[in-house]
Amino acid sequence: MVGLKKHNFTKFFILFGVMSFFYLPILSLMIFSFNDSRSLTSWSGFSLQWYQALFENREMMTAITTTITIALISTFVATVMGTLAAIGISKSRRLIKELVLSVNSFPILNPEIVTAIGLMLLYSSLNVEKGFMTMLLAHIIFSTPYVILSVLPRLRRLDPDIAEAALDLGATPLQALWKVIVPMITPGIISGALIAFTMSFDDFVISYFVSGNGVKNISILVYTMSKRINPTINALSTILVVIITIVLLVVNLYPYITKKEMKEAE
Amino acid sequence: MKGYASLVKPYILWMSLFIVVPMLLIVLYAFTEHGNALMAFRFTLGNFMRFFDPVFIKVLFKSLEVAIITTILCIIIGYPIAYVISNASERAQTLLILLITLPMWINMLVRTYAWISILSDGGILNSIFQFFGLAPIKMMYTDFAVMLGMVYNFLPFMIISIYTVLAKLDRALIHASHDLGANPLQTFLRVVLPLSMPGVISGITLVFLPAVSTFVIPKFLGGGQYMLIGNLIENQFITVGEWNFGSAISLIMAVIIMGSMILTRKIDRDASDTTSVEGGKLW
Amino acid sequence: MKKLSMLILVLAFMLAGCNSETKTLKVFNWGVYMDASLIDEFEKEYNVRVVYDEFDSNESMYTKLMSGEKYDVIVPSDYMVQRLIQENLLQKLDKKVVSLDNVLSNVLNKDFDPNNDYSAPYFWGNVGLIYDTTQVDAKDLEDGWNILLNEKYKGKIYFYDSERDAFLVALKALGYSANSKVDSQLNEAFNWLTRLNSTMSPIYVTDDVIDNMVAGNKAIAVVYSGDAAYILDENENMGYFVPKEGTNLWIDSMVIPANADNPELANAWIAFMLSEDAQSRNTLEVGYSTVHKDVWETMISDEGDYAGNDAYAVRVDYAKDEIFKYDEELKVKMSDLWLKIKAQ
Repeated sequence: MVGLKKHNFTKFFILFGVMSFFYLPILSLMIFSFNDSRSLTSWSGFSLQWYQALFENREMMTAITTTITIALISTFVATVMGTLAAIGISKSRRLIKELVLSVNSFPILNPEIVTAIGLMLLYSSLNVEKGFMTMLLAHIIFSTPYVILSVLPRLRRLDPDIAEAALDLGATPLQALWKVIVPMITPGIISGALIAFTMSFDDFVISYFVSGNGVKNISILVYTMSKRINPTINALSTILVVIITIVLLVVNLYPYITKKEMKEAE
Repeated sequence: MKGYASLVKPYILWMSLFIVVPMLLIVLYAFTEHGNALMAFRFTLGNFMRFFDPVFIKVLFKSLEVAIITTILCIIIGYPIAYVISNASERAQTLLILLITLPMWINMLVRTYAWISILSDGGILNSIFQFFGLAPIKMMYTDFAVMLGMVYNFLPFMIISIYTVLAKLDRALIHASHDLGANPLQTFLRVVLPLSMPGVISGITLVFLPAVSTFVIPKFLGGGQYMLIGNLIENQFITVGEWNFGSAISLIMAVIIMGSMILTRKIDRDASDTTSVEGGKLW
Repeated sequence: MKKLSMLILVLAFMLAGCNSETKTLKVFNWGVYMDASLIDEFEKEYNVRVVYDEFDSNESMYTKLMSGEKYDVIVPSDYMVQRLIQENLLQKLDKKVVSLDNVLSNVLNKDFDPNNDYSAPYFWGNVGLIYDTTQVDAKDLEDGWNILLNEKYKGKIYFYDSERDAFLVALKALGYSANSKVDSQLNEAFNWLTRLNSTMSPIYVTDDVIDNMVAGNKAIAVVYSGDAAYILDENENMGYFVPKEGTNLWIDSMVIPANADNPELANAWIAFMLSEDAQSRNTLEVGYSTVHKDVWETMISDEGDYAGNDAYAVRVDYAKDEIFKYDEELKVKMSDLWLKIKAQ
């Protein structure tokens, strides 16, 4: 019994240590976003001034809009394109499948900076003016492979005859696709879309190299603002943390809530 | 069925233009001279020769060193945590994994930026030290700070990779081991550890690759003089404007990384069907 | 699903295309170098949109230009203006719109642009040492730039992360010209910097030096006079010192690239920035020394905001203070050496 208690204590200690490590910076960010003075190290009192400054800062608000817009659009396009491509890959001959998957893996296996430089050189050679569209395009390019890899396993487990059966019963290929195949791979599509969204929202390296014309996303803005002490960054971060926490809590507690409802319904 | 296969054609076109061509451009720039204008090309190995200067080789080795140490630290710290979590109750597991992944969702720059105010000379940690009468320690702009930032950013990936495999481990195997007379340590070393290797390998992939090529963490926490290979490349492209030299360095780094990836996968020949997207089905 | 995708597409077009009616002025300036309210005022007065982008070194500004980005107004330093003129990348200012009558005479008609055909001064200053008076012995300052090699201050130095400024310090410390092209002198400077790196563990910074020195995180820093002026204001323990070996006198100027989309707007912007009101607000917000005659007199006068501020009242007519010159050969050599220093 004594051994067991010691064991529990060690476990608790390890976990507590790790959690503090992870959350110390986040907490400090959040706390100092409410600081009355401009310091990030000494507390002078409670104030919401940095949140006010955040909403009044045109550059920050634009960056937030840009980030969200690009994340939404690139996720949508990457998901659609990736899903269709994955279906195509799963039905292709082995040689094509291997080739496509190998090239598809380049953006994933390559360090981000290499992908970023490649795109920068591409845009420069084509004399394309860098800006919103180039950033959006870049996000679609690096997100799609992840969608493909997310959907493909689901497609593999699919019964190959089901779509065939639908066609025999008179469905057009498009109907068979939309009403038979897609619903069966939806979990893969959703997880692919989530990955694409997160990668786009968080992206720094690739966006940094391919954007121009004053177009910035949140990461680029934080990078350029980090040279001077600026608690508005803390305010922005705190809001992001709160939103993410709420979303994750909802997503994870949702099954428990529906279970409860179902139990009550019985 | 053949009809659906043609769905892959648009994507092949897409990949050719947006994945293959950029790679080719990097190779092109690496092997030519003075290339901001597309027309002025001269084939040369000069960019590579320039890299083989002791100063730059040192940068490469330092990057590899930092990345390897970071990876090892992530394994040493991450494995016990993944193990503890995988042995917890199901509800606790969900909660703990949630807590571990939450920081990952927060922007990497923001998380790294947060460490500056904690580690700086007048920062939070030093204020705590001073409160207890200890002398302030210089933490910012050191190897320690950079390593800390790296581990902080990449540890969750390692934990999740190992946890995913450990959680799926068949408990029956552990019970069987106990029944056959092995003590907990033996069970761990002979049963659990080998079976968890795919997770460790996958974690190494997720940590080593970005660790070698990162430039933000050294820039924020190491100061302008802390140059890793990622910083060198960024410097060549953004500040100095020598795209040819920069491309050559990128190519060298990409080759080294690809090489180590292939090596890692060869070690783990039973690359099983992991659920991680970065997945084992590629080789 | 269809409705959602329509919504997203509409949103996309709105955001991408919404600014195509109003004219856009693209300005490329140093970081932390402008009172943001001036941008808003210009936008309202001329009914245009200003896209304001920032850079942290002349070199990265040049690289960005070479990568194809177009701007209407940029604010390079003296030697960079010289380079851009030499490479035919600038267009002349419209002197009917831009008047230099109110600009201090000691920042005009310099070698890099003899008649100010292409450039209008924006801020000026020099490079010096900001130091913590409680930590640094005044006698050590007599060493001039070589105080940076004084082991007493090991680990307590911020050095500027800039190619030319680094070589300025090294060359001056060795008694040479900051514009020296002599290989042996450059190599000596390289060795000086190597020694600095290996024995003193300096931290290379740019704009982050400002808040760090205000917080007193290190004892000595190499800074631009404008940053020093701000630091002196915020931290009374700090002092500013310019060594007797001489330093760099610099002038940042507004120029119009040859391929600018809106030259008329660009000229209007420059004229706006040279007005007394703009200069006054800018110098108060940013801390750098103004180029406007009247504003200058006000600021350094006894009731002025910068009265007694050693860093603001830049030392002029000191023979050993030099303006940087651009030379292609020198640039190649220096870049190469600087890269090696950073990689150490």
